[in-house]
Amino acid sequence: MAKKLRQLAIYGKGGIGKSTTTQNTVAGLAAMGKKILIIGCDPKADSTRLILHSKAQETVMDKVRELGTVEDLELEDVLREGYAGVRCVESGGPEPGVGCAGRGVITAINFLEEEGAYTPDLDFVFYDVLGDVVCGGFAMPIRENKAQEIYIVVSGEMMAMYAANNICKGIVKYASSGSVRLGGLICNSRNTDKEKELIEALAARLGTQMIHYVPRDNQVQRAELRRMTVIEYSPEHQQAQEYRELARKIDENEMLVVPTPIEIDDLEELLMEFGIIEAEDETIIGKAENA
Amino acid sequence: MEKTSKNNPLEGITKEKTQSMVEKTLDLYPEKARKKRAPHMSANDPDDAGCAIRSNRKTVPGVMSARGCAYAGAKGVVWGPIRDMVHVSHGPVGCGYYSWGTRRNLVDGTSGVDVFSAMQFTSDFQERDIVYGGDKKLGVLCREAKELFPLAKGISVLSECPVGLIGDDINAVAKESSKELDIPVIPCNCEGFRGVSQSLGHHISNDTIRDYVIGTREFSEPIGDYDVAIIGDYNIGGDAWASKKVLEEIGLNVKAVWTGDGQIEHIAATHQVKLNLIHCYRSMNYMAKIMEEKYGVPNMEFNFFGPTKIAESLRAIAARFDEKIQQKAEEVIARHNVEMQKVIDEYRPRLEGKRVLIFVGGLRPRHTIGAYEDLGMKVIASGYEFAHTDDYDKTYPEMDKGTLIFDDASEIELEKWVEEFRPDLVASGVKEKYVFQKAGVPFRQMHSWDYSGPYHAYDGFPIFARDMDMAINSPTWKLVKSPF
Amino acid sequence: MSEAAIKKVTETTPEEVARIKEWINSEEYKEKNLAREHLVVNPAHACQPLGAQLVAHGFEGTLPFVHGSQGCASYYRSSLNRHFREPAPAVSDAMTEDGAVFGGQNNLHEGLENALALYKPKMMAVFTSCMPEVIGDDLNAFIQNARNEGIVPADFPIPYANTPSFNGSHVQGYDAMLKSVLECLTAGKKVEGQDNGRLNLIPGFDTCTGNYREYKRMLKAFDVPCTLLADISESFDAPLDGTYHPYPGGTPLAEAAEALNAKATISLQKLATKETVKWLSANTEAPVEVLDMPIGVNNTDALLMKISELFGKAVPAELRAERGRAVDAMTDAHQYMHNKKFALYGDPDWLIGMVSFLLEMGARPYHILCSRVHKKFAKEIQKVLDSSPFGAGCNIWLNKDLWHLRSLVATDPVDALIGNGHGKFITRDMGIPLIRVGYPIMDRVNLHRYPTIGYQGTINLVTWIVNSLLDQVDDTCEDRNFELMR
Repeated sequence: MAKKLRQLAIYGKGGIGKSTTTQNTVAGLAAMGKKILIIGCDPKADSTRLILHSKAQETVMDKVRELGTVEDLELEDVLREGYAGVRCVESGGPEPGVGCAGRGVITAINFLEEEGAYTPDLDFVFYDVLGDVVCGGFAMPIRENKAQEIYIVVSGEMMAMYAANNICKGIVKYASSGSVRLGGLICNSRNTDKEKELIEALAARLGTQMIHYVPRDNQVQRAELRRMTVIEYSPEHQQAQEYRELARKIDENEMLVVPTPIEIDDLEELLMEFGIIEAEDETIIGKAENA
Repeated sequence: MEKTSKNNPLEGITKEKTQSMVEKTLDLYPEKARKKRAPHMSANDPDDAGCAIRSNRKTVPGVMSARGCAYAGAKGVVWGPIRDMVHVSHGPVGCGYYSWGTRRNLVDGTSGVDVFSAMQFTSDFQERDIVYGGDKKLGVLCREAKELFPLAKGISVLSECPVGLIGDDINAVAKESSKELDIPVIPCNCEGFRGVSQSLGHHISNDTIRDYVIGTREFSEPIGDYDVAIIGDYNIGGDAWASKKVLEEIGLNVKAVWTGDGQIEHIAATHQVKLNLIHCYRSMNYMAKIMEEKYGVPNMEFNFFGPTKIAESLRAIAARFDEKIQQKAEEVIARHNVEMQKVIDEYRPRLEGKRVLIFVGGLRPRHTIGAYEDLGMKVIASGYEFAHTDDYDKTYPEMDKGTLIFDDASEIELEKWVEEFRPDLVASGVKEKYVFQKAGVPFRQMHSWDYSGPYHAYDGFPIFARDMDMAINSPTWKLVKSPF
Repeated sequence: MSEAAIKKVTETTPEEVARIKEWINSEEYKEKNLAREHLVVNPAHACQPLGAQLVAHGFEGTLPFVHGSQGCASYYRSSLNRHFREPAPAVSDAMTEDGAVFGGQNNLHEGLENALALYKPKMMAVFTSCMPEVIGDDLNAFIQNARNEGIVPADFPIPYANTPSFNGSHVQGYDAMLKSVLECLTAGKKVEGQDNGRLNLIPGFDTCTGNYREYKRMLKAFDVPCTLLADISESFDAPLDGTYHPYPGGTPLAEAAEALNAKATISLQKLATKETVKWLSANTEAPVEVLDMPIGVNNTDALLMKISELFGKAVPAELRAERGRAVDAMTDAHQYMHNKKFALYGDPDWLIGMVSFLLEMGARPYHILCSRVHKKFAKEIQKVLDSSPFGAGCNIWLNKDLWHLRSLVATDPVDALIGNGHGKFITRDMGIPLIRVGYPIMDRVNLHRYPTIGYQGTINLVTWIVNSLLDQVDDTCEDRNFELMR
């Protein structure tokens, strides 16, 4: 019997630790014997370096630029295998401020589909997508017949939660015409106050779950210095255990929902409840510190 | 060639009947589209500005409009005819490919050597250019153009949709290239998604001429009292050559034509002329106004379709000069009218009373009315693809009471009106041509002169008359109804 | 002071013109020209949506629907109008600046609603121009939403294809749309374990209505029921009878819906049907064969033998006799084409067929130019060239344009050009004939009505090519060599 391919997209605010979380989770799944393809959908192209132990792999768009057209590109030019047989592709794209990074994602995914990168032996495809869904190109991974499950990496910081809520709005839009669903929030801890409770409360409001709370640990940085995941670098470390736990939960996750994004007011109310922001005081608006 | 009154009702055409036809047409639409389309069509009342047609609005999605885009207005109309420049369609291959040679802007010179209008230059964007931007590519291709076409006197860079969407800075590249290559490299941000029709492309191009071209050259010889420029003649089928010839016959010197068979340096020095003569107002009035405001060059509109309008125009133009010119104008009119009368005598008997529906672009829906009338024909419906209010204001007085005036027609509207009005001739574009010919209705393409022309001035009218006659009276029409 | 700085108007001297005119024919110029990296001059390819629109016109009651700027639709339509001298009804959802920022869903929905009400199509084939491709509009979601919101009936067929103009050419657009139409129409129609005895025949991007009629005639002679995918022969060659029909023909939708139940499929253009063939092969057990375009005798033989093999029927006597007549015509004319050099330019699949035909005649396809094709294509053409001694020393030029071709024939001359109407500037400069085959032809009438495929098409090609060469002799020879017989 053919395996059912699960396609997952990981979203979240820029700098939240998406790529690190994704690669450690993927490593966790790979250690369980799963076959996985990671597609980095971010012009920075840093979604696969911990798996490949490389600075940045040559991207689809780099190669396209070199060869002139997509037609002359071969899959083996851009597909690399890393830790535990995990296959890696980076879509690539321009420097900030020029061109159209979103189109790069579209070009790359179209190419991968046409060239048969989605082989039947795969268990998972992970799309690691640039922070904010700024244009249609960055929604490419959640279109019909692509990722059906989305996980949002979030922390207790206000902007991360705003972003999570916004991403939920995007999912609702696509869920109405297709089968994309939210699988849960991954809390990548920043050690803010009552972070776990806050994200659990946010998840509840959004109609989903906090699938795992990943505590902050410098072991992650130590592994990264060696361009490795914690799972590979120090499999016995507690942090590796956390990622394996997250991997297991994702593997077993059956709670796939159409999220219920909340109004900004409600979100702010929630943040006030947990003391992240203070009640609005109209008298202080627009006043400088020394005024 | 006497002036006909516009208030005598045409047989079978009344304001009420036309208005009811308009209602029937609108009934074809879903409610929301109906509301949008309703203000764009009305029965004419030459004395009543109340029949104001709404224009220059967004095209209603899904209706099958004939409109083009800003790029089409920039490349096809304003820039393309300038013969001694390399016009680069900057973006994917299609826009330049489909507009390649299709407007029939004839030029004098050796193609690929000192003139380039019959050629198609493009940056042929690929995925990589969209993702990484096309600025570097543009710099290189300007260099390549200069090297391979050393007699080109400039390069225009005409942006297609993707360039604007990905935010390429063609202006910066053009500035650098211009400095490096020592020829004008002119960036024109005319992406097709901007504005609602070709019209914005004309405007953007005019502004570009204002910012990069006008005043950058002076004529090599001293300017004379009779030096003029023709503004808005694109030399379709040789129109500008015919117009220039008559103006020179009355003693004027045509120093520049905008932009038919145009030369960029002559265009750049046009601010020196004594009078700008505007034929296509819609596409070029912007620059005429700027030359008036900034350089004090007066301008006037004229109409070179058909002997009546030609004579009126020549007199009006001559009135701006001295008696010598005025006298010459009268001589020229008198001389040509003999020839013109022969043309009329030949064709009018076969065309008398024939009715025309016109749907074209910039000036023809009003400017050709007189030429048809010279042949005894009547325009019973007239519309523009991309006009503005001022165009319609100039059209109402030219049209008879109760005739139909319309804006940005969809194909189904045209079909309905042709079915109801049963015109003897539809004068429109290539997209409409075969629709109406299949329906057995004679047709002339009035953007391209149907691969004929010129139609302007005294050289043009005999050809115009011949073409309208052959369209309507071709014996092939008799074969349409099968005997079995 | 500042006035003195303004440069005077300059005029190019006749001497300069004469010098450059000679220079552009030189070897030196050719080298510079071929070194060109980014500037494309007089391209030999159009963009994807044109191919998609051609497919749409090939299906019964189908309205082509352009998702993108209004001007794009006008360009595709007028291009088709000019080539066929026929109507080409298509709508656009007229996206403008706000669409670029907010996405095109509203435009698409309003457009679908209006087009359905006004033009009453049986199917709308949606394809994209640049803007929605750059901003990344999701057609699938938009169309699904239109159904959910009741803008179009839930079961109304709306195939859709992403056809970015900055990728490939009209050839890829053809493929993308055809695949999508078949996917859409055949959904749920597959009957397992039996076939309906029909042949799916896919001509590829072909703008000669005569070819479609010729395919149908050949299949009729075989008595093999055939579904042409997609059949533009009526759409672009409709009778003039006093009534305008917006959808005068096309492959019946019900027939196309049975495509997966056919006994076999033959595609006659490999590159123009790559994705379609891949999809068909994955979705039906019936044979899916890809042959070269049947230009010339060998390629036509191959097609007829394949049909014969697939359907267990002998090649009919009528076609056997026709083959003989084609060979007769070729033999009668061989002396005029033998060893003559030709430059050809156009779509990849057409080039393969055309090269094969020229080699059969003992002619030399000397410059073969194809733009926007992947590099592997050179090998395929080379294979055909290698099959004949007349292919030796012929040159393949990939991803080049007609300005390159001008340099090539100026420095390494040929006897004639074969290709679309755009070649006329080269042949005028070189004083050689242009044989017009391909897309577009906007300066001659009726050529699209004459087949260039099959035995009959081969006779037509021989006729046009040889007579053009003979006209050339008569037009240019000295009086003393001007003769009655040729």
